[in-house]
Amino acid sequence: MDPHQTLAVYEVMYGMREFESLVGEGVASGAIHGEMHLGIGQEIVAAVLGRYLQPGDAVVSTHRPHLHGLAAGVDPVPMLAEIFERDGLNHGKGGHMHLFDQAKSFMCTGIVGASAPLAAGYALRQRLDQRGNLSVAVAGDGAVNQGGVAETMNLAVLRGLPVLFLVEDNGYGISVSTQKSTAGSLRHRAEAVGMPVREANGTSLEEVDDAIRDSIGYVRAEVMPATAVVRVYRFRGHYEGDADLYRDAAEKNLAMSAVRDPLLILRGRILADETVTASELSQLEDSARARVTAWRDEALAVGLPAPASAFAGVFADE
Amino acid sequence: MSEQQPAAADARTGSHLVAEVLAHQMALDDSMVVFGEDVANLGGVFGATRRLARQFGDERVFDTPISETAFIGMAVGAAQAGLRPVVELMFVDFIGVCFDQVLNQMAKNHYMSGGGVRLPLVLRTAVGCIGSAAQHSQVLSATFAHIPGLKVVFPGTPGDLQGLLRTALDDANPVVFLEHKQLLKSRVSSLPHDDAPAPRTLAEPVPFGQLRRLAPGDDLTIVTVGWMVQLALQAAGQLAAEGISAGVIDLRTLVPLDRTGLVDAAGRSSRLLVVDEDYRGFGFTAEVMAVIAETLGRDAPLMARLAPEVPVPASLILEEQVVPGAAAIVAAARKLMDKEV
Repeated sequence: MDPHQTLAVYEVMYGMREFESLVGEGVASGAIHGEMHLGIGQEIVAAVLGRYLQPGDAVVSTHRPHLHGLAAGVDPVPMLAEIFERDGLNHGKGGHMHLFDQAKSFMCTGIVGASAPLAAGYALRQRLDQRGNLSVAVAGDGAVNQGGVAETMNLAVLRGLPVLFLVEDNGYGISVSTQKSTAGSLRHRAEAVGMPVREANGTSLEEVDDAIRDSIGYVRAEVMPATAVVRVYRFRGHYEGDADLYRDAAEKNLAMSAVRDPLLILRGRILADETVTASELSQLEDSARARVTAWRDEALAVGLPAPASAFAGVFADE
Repeated sequence: MSEQQPAAADARTGSHLVAEVLAHQMALDDSMVVFGEDVANLGGVFGATRRLARQFGDERVFDTPISETAFIGMAVGAAQAGLRPVVELMFVDFIGVCFDQVLNQMAKNHYMSGGGVRLPLVLRTAVGCIGSAAQHSQVLSATFAHIPGLKVVFPGTPGDLQGLLRTALDDANPVVFLEHKQLLKSRVSSLPHDDAPAPRTLAEPVPFGQLRRLAPGDDLTIVTVGWMVQLALQAAGQLAAEGISAGVIDLRTLVPLDRTGLVDAAGRSSRLLVVDEDYRGFGFTAEVMAVIAETLGRDAPLMARLAPEVPVPASLILEEQVVPGAAAIVAAARKLMDKEV
């Protein structure tokens, strides 16, 4: 990846972190009353994914979905309006964990592991259409132990479904570490059904980029599924308000330090490579922050859903 | 063939009628796909998808592994992506292994998306008792009907197998289509109420949410749905021989429920018996009685109900105690007639 591409990925990741930080502030201020799962620390997965998605591709994300939505091209203003419980992307009925953008074939689900069968459904359509599109089933490390994910991996290989199983291994399913939840390894799950697997360390942009690019290339070319596992670290608790006493402080501090935080690592490299000057980089960051803040302000200006609308829309065409 | 000889016996079963509708619709709608366990090579364990794979090919009609979560969920995703999946859950009893995809995805995604996502899919599943005990004899209609976002359709006659299925295949919403095994397996000509269309023709589409009165009756009204419609008609015949005039109402769909028609029928009855093959507690019979009671209040008819309260046992002598038959419906009707209004 050339220095300017690296800078572009950094800019996307920086904006994603700002996005999640502003959402976190919304929880702290009480503007958002529900459960909230932020992807701070995991930006590199969505930022790289966004480099390789094409129109017509589908993304089915998880309970930690915002960054995948941005990668899929969901308009951030209606998305933020929905997250802030206003008359947003889904008119206040989905909220942060159930964002749906039909035009972008993006959705997410709050049920761990449920993304895989749904992505297979989008992929069934794509297989019939033969336009080289694919569906991304995002799954956490915990989701890989759901039977539905194993079932879908098997079905996808048998039927030749263009699905990328994109596993974000952030080390913990709420409080239970991957080591304590997963016998064997995540990659063995996919290998058991004869599916190619790529693994990447989330602190290495090259590894993540290679893994996702190659996997997506295979899925499109072969009309067959593939799995990519990226090891990242969740900087926040499982949800906003999680006391997070189950993780060791030293482990957390190291993960969030300049030597492990993917964002800070990239920042250091950009400056070392002299791709831009420090002040130019600060300007880029300032404008990324200003952009996200403007989205947030625009989203907060969106009205609340009409109370009576709660009773409408159970069925289509009625 | 002389004129005295009967025409060739009608060998069609309910499953033939289902397959005819599926084939008809697949020919019209390129977006329709059919999948599930044993639906392609075998043509369905009850034969309801017979010959579809041969006619429409492996890309549109295919067998899945025994992985209900994966393939029912795939149907949800495929519907959202613009296909019209018709997915078969071999026995409704197997819903337990894939319930999340029905409860939290299929039923909810249209509402949660604020209307942006549509799910035009039909979940076909075989229900009811054929002598296979408690894990293969359930109906579970109320389990589906309890969840907002699912239409629940339960035909009781061969004509409705076709007419309601045609409507289901034209609906923009997820439809749970309950096919009673007795209806699938029985020769239509052997049924108490055979409204099958002439061979090589299809029944007209039947609108959802419109009950029908299959037999008039002055003394008592039996309200039911599904296979119990056939048994209620048998029971009405026996009651008529005893001088009791029993009307039979077939609700046809649980969701949408024909509240207006139900209240209207109840308002014109002095006694009303609700019969169901699904479990009694918190179910169809209670819902029907509640709709009538909360609308008519003291003008409601005298009501009683008949439905299983225990799992379906294996031995026939036990099964007959639990699953309502025509004799049990007659007995319940007599008991209701003995009560003073």
